[in-house]
Amino acid sequence: MNTLLKIEDLCAQVAGKEIIKNFNLTINEGEVHAIMGPNGAGKSTLSYVLTGKPGYEVTSGHIWFKGKDLLKMSVEERSREGLFLIMQYPVEIPGVPVTSFLKHAVNAQRQYNGESELDTMEFIKYLREEAKKLGIDNEMLKRPVNVGFSGGEKKRLEALQMTILKPSLAILDEADSGLDIDAIKVVSNGVNALRNEHRALLIITHYQKLLTYIKPDFVHVFADGHIVKSGDQSLSEEIEQNGYAAYTREQ
Amino acid sequence: MGDKAEIKQIIDESGDKYKYGFVTDIDSDTVPKGLSADIIRLISAKKGEPEWLLERRLKAFEFWQTLEEPTWAKLKYDKIDYQDLYYYSAPKQKAAPKSLAEVNPELLKTYDKLGIPLKEQEMLAGVVAVDAVFDSVSVATTYRAKLAEKGVIFCSISEAIREYPDLVKQYLGSVVPYTDNFFACLNSAVFTDGSFVYIPKGVRCPMELSTYFRINAKNTGQFERTLIVADDDSYVSYLEGCTAPQRDENQLHAAIVEIVVLNNAEVKYSTVQNWYPGDKDGKGGVYNFVTKRAACRGINSKVSWTQVETGSAVTWKYPSCVLQGDNSVGEFYSVALTNNYQQADTGTKMIHIGKNTSSRIISKGISAGFSNQTYRGLVHIAPGAVNARNYSQCDSLLIGSTCGSHTVPYVENRSKTAQLEHEATTSKISDEQLFYCRSRGISEEDAVSLIVSGFCKEVMQQLPMEFAIEAAKLINISLEGSIG
Amino acid sequence: MSELLSDIALFGENIPWLEGIRSRGRNAFVMPTAKTEAWKYTKLHVLQRDDFVYAPSKFLEELEGCAEEECDCGCEHHHENEECTCGTHCHCAHRPKLYIDLPFDAYQIHFYNGKFMPLYPALPVGVEVMTLMQAVVEGEVQNYLGKYIDLQSYPFAALNTAMLEEGLFVKIDAGISLKKPLMFIYHTQTEQHLLSNIHNVFVAGKGANISVIEYYYHIGDNKDCYFNNIVNEFYLSPQANITHYKFQNEAFKAIHIALNYARVRENAFYKSFCLQKGADLGRNETKIDLLQEQAKSQVDAAYIMHGWATIDTTTDVAHLSPQTISDQLVKGVVGGQAKGVFQGKISIVKDAQATEGHQLHRALLLSDTAEIDVKPELEIYADDVKCSHGAACGEIDQDQLFYMRSRGIGEEEAKQILIDAYLLEVINRIDNEQIREWILSNV
Repeated sequence: MNTLLKIEDLCAQVAGKEIIKNFNLTINEGEVHAIMGPNGAGKSTLSYVLTGKPGYEVTSGHIWFKGKDLLKMSVEERSREGLFLIMQYPVEIPGVPVTSFLKHAVNAQRQYNGESELDTMEFIKYLREEAKKLGIDNEMLKRPVNVGFSGGEKKRLEALQMTILKPSLAILDEADSGLDIDAIKVVSNGVNALRNEHRALLIITHYQKLLTYIKPDFVHVFADGHIVKSGDQSLSEEIEQNGYAAYTREQ
Repeated sequence: MGDKAEIKQIIDESGDKYKYGFVTDIDSDTVPKGLSADIIRLISAKKGEPEWLLERRLKAFEFWQTLEEPTWAKLKYDKIDYQDLYYYSAPKQKAAPKSLAEVNPELLKTYDKLGIPLKEQEMLAGVVAVDAVFDSVSVATTYRAKLAEKGVIFCSISEAIREYPDLVKQYLGSVVPYTDNFFACLNSAVFTDGSFVYIPKGVRCPMELSTYFRINAKNTGQFERTLIVADDDSYVSYLEGCTAPQRDENQLHAAIVEIVVLNNAEVKYSTVQNWYPGDKDGKGGVYNFVTKRAACRGINSKVSWTQVETGSAVTWKYPSCVLQGDNSVGEFYSVALTNNYQQADTGTKMIHIGKNTSSRIISKGISAGFSNQTYRGLVHIAPGAVNARNYSQCDSLLIGSTCGSHTVPYVENRSKTAQLEHEATTSKISDEQLFYCRSRGISEEDAVSLIVSGFCKEVMQQLPMEFAIEAAKLINISLEGSIG
Repeated sequence: MSELLSDIALFGENIPWLEGIRSRGRNAFVMPTAKTEAWKYTKLHVLQRDDFVYAPSKFLEELEGCAEEECDCGCEHHHENEECTCGTHCHCAHRPKLYIDLPFDAYQIHFYNGKFMPLYPALPVGVEVMTLMQAVVEGEVQNYLGKYIDLQSYPFAALNTAMLEEGLFVKIDAGISLKKPLMFIYHTQTEQHLLSNIHNVFVAGKGANISVIEYYYHIGDNKDCYFNNIVNEFYLSPQANITHYKFQNEAFKAIHIALNYARVRENAFYKSFCLQKGADLGRNETKIDLLQEQAKSQVDAAYIMHGWATIDTTTDVAHLSPQTISDQLVKGVVGGQAKGVFQGKISIVKDAQATEGHQLHRALLLSDTAEIDVKPELEIYADDVKCSHGAACGEIDQDQLFYMRSRGIGEEEAKQILIDAYLLEVINRIDNEQIREWILSNV
């Protein structure tokens, strides 16, 4: 079992404020990790630091992804290496149809891996098949990315992108907003379909709800910028019952 | 509908639409008609001014003679004969009054009639300190002692020149230099009085400050000059009101307001401009040419201009913000209402220079009768103004088919990271809205004023409470006769 | 520039009304200065040079002289006075290869260095194309030519009028619908500082329907500095439709100034789209008079620029009758040290009730040295109107960029996709799919 992601003593800040403090985490291939924590603890910051969003500054520490220094990679390199963030609020991109957007993304990845680019017909055929499995019709593929999409449609599109880009590590950032049960099912079906012994998953969430659909191997409690307690799924049930107070008070 | 009925009653009681049109019968000390270097020397001498100021005036006058009156505004008015005006007129008083008790009772009566409290008494709506400017001089300033306790200086600019020469010398003309424009240059040569405000470091001014301008004398130009300096970490809210008697001749008003805002300071400047607008045939009224500008020099400084413009025959006015300090903020909220033959060319300039500066422009124009109104604005983003933000919204409402409404917003952007957004609409009161109101039993006239007040709401909310009520009344009065 | 006006010999100096028009042009021409409001943002220093030459007519004669020369391709289009459409086999040494390949079929009309090449396409009955001077001689154009253009307001139209000679008169009879577009191709290939004044007049009869495409490009060195000064007049009878496309892709050092003037009658529709990409100074100005009820206009534009160029889109739509409608969308992308200028005016005269005028300008700044100057203007004298204008500018949306990069798309590629998508909104308003594709492929 190979190590996929190794975060060592990570400190990171946003707008001069330190949010991540001495954070450590190791994720191996095939594992599903859940990071739970109270609102405002900075859980989303972690997902943006991992994907390299501008404005999120790492002040010290290391992140190794497949043995490579993740912090030296650009946003797109990280993606091409197999890191995928399912965003809670994906941005709208007027004028760019879903199909052409995904074709660019897939071909950029293929080129990176030294594979030949897919031609348009080949790609559309493949995309339509995958879309169908997620209940996405062809009409939606023609629309501009996320423009005028409902919450559920946005989730479906995120799931579709994950299916197509086949990441080694998918990060599911729930940003603690209330997803309806259908949307949760869409995402978790997508995620579960992708699970195998090589892929890993990092779920960042406030509620335990999602974890009944995607069963984690490890659960970590995040408070004050780092993991304060780790355990198995029973830990998430414990939190559901007792809340976070017990863990944050320890600090 | 409670407010509505009350306002209606006030309008009915006021009878005449312009209720400030009376003349105060008072002996005046006036300099001879016309403009020359000698007249300027005379004015300066009457005011007992220091030599440096006289020099500045004469320099401005010299420059003014090389300038031509601007013609770019969408305004048509008879040529002003600058030699046919009186440049100084002051009500005769024995000596400079040391307290309110010494002020000429005729003047006190005048201000009482105008509804301006010159007595230091608690008003329901709060305490307001007032500087009252009558023609060319300041006649009284209230609450000076109480303000002085906090270190706040509030007095006439003439007194400030004598008593705080260093402050005045440092800031006067630093925001609006005499070379700025034709009218500002004229003002720099002949200004007579106005208000001076200094808020020291860390002081939040304990009450609203207010200047009330009154033109009384015939054929007299009013050239007031206001200077407000808000030192680091200070705050002040300042109000300005103006009225003039009903006369058949046009009266000239060319003022300058300069505001300097230092680090973390905030100035809120509100105007309710109700100069005599002329009669329903366009006869008479004040020509209002005003240069107002604020320099946000400090970091995190903020200036907010709010204006309700219902008066004047001709308005030429662009309160501006020069956002020099990083993170500084400029705001401009305006309601302008023109009726009969009034003309207004008004708007703002937001000059972004510092980093992370932001500005907001909300302009609501209402044209009725045969009036013409122009919103003219400029948003300028200088090359180093990283992350500048501007939002502008200019809406115009036309009432009747004989008026005009124009919108000219200039945008000049030299910074990639700037985000600028501008929206403008022009429309009439929709028939559906009118029908809806009327089907609920509201008269057409009431419905119009309801809809107009809704149209202006965003701006009116920016006014201090006591001014907001006054301004709402004014708008209703000004709208009268515009329906049907 | 003024010296040029005095020493050129023009056709038809003995025709009084034509001379009358030219003299109006000469009298009205004053070079705009920094204080000229309409030219406030578009500086004319590139015009300060005094070595512009007016293309001598002799040049054209030379070319005409060899128009008869043999071409051996034997294709069906090869006969007298018609350009060989195969475009490859012309053996005449002097004669430029004019026919250009396009992804759509069009009636091609060619101007070479500002001179009309007398190669008339085979047009259907009801469509007439003749040179402006022929139309002058035949008296066809007198009711139109320069009659309504306020030369005081358009200095370069005044210059154009003072040197009136070159250009075409196009007449479409009532009820005629032209299936293929009429395509004016302006080839420029010169090392001289050539000044070309071209003046076209289009008259569409009642219910007529045509598309006109203008394509400006250059052959040879991109640094060639020439000046194309264009005036187009469009007269739309009731129910007529003119769709006017323009692609300005002049040499980087060229100057291109154009005035498009349209008079639109009852139920007629003038629709235009202009893409400006070339020239050191490019100004496309449109003036529309909506004269009668239900007259409509749509004036769209896109511009994309780098380097040091100034590209200016100026429009003035006058609603002169009740129930008239106008709409406008302009989008631009500005990089390098370039400067984008948009001035858009909507005016509604008194009593032009129940009118609608809308306008939107949006620009993307790609560099800190680029500049955008915008002056929208509403001038409204009627109350029953719906008018709006909007303007926005900013840089590429950082959230969109991050989203795309997080999906593995490279930064430069992502930016390019976003820029294309930005302009797509306006390009998509082109109805003709083939022309739309052609424009898209040139962005």
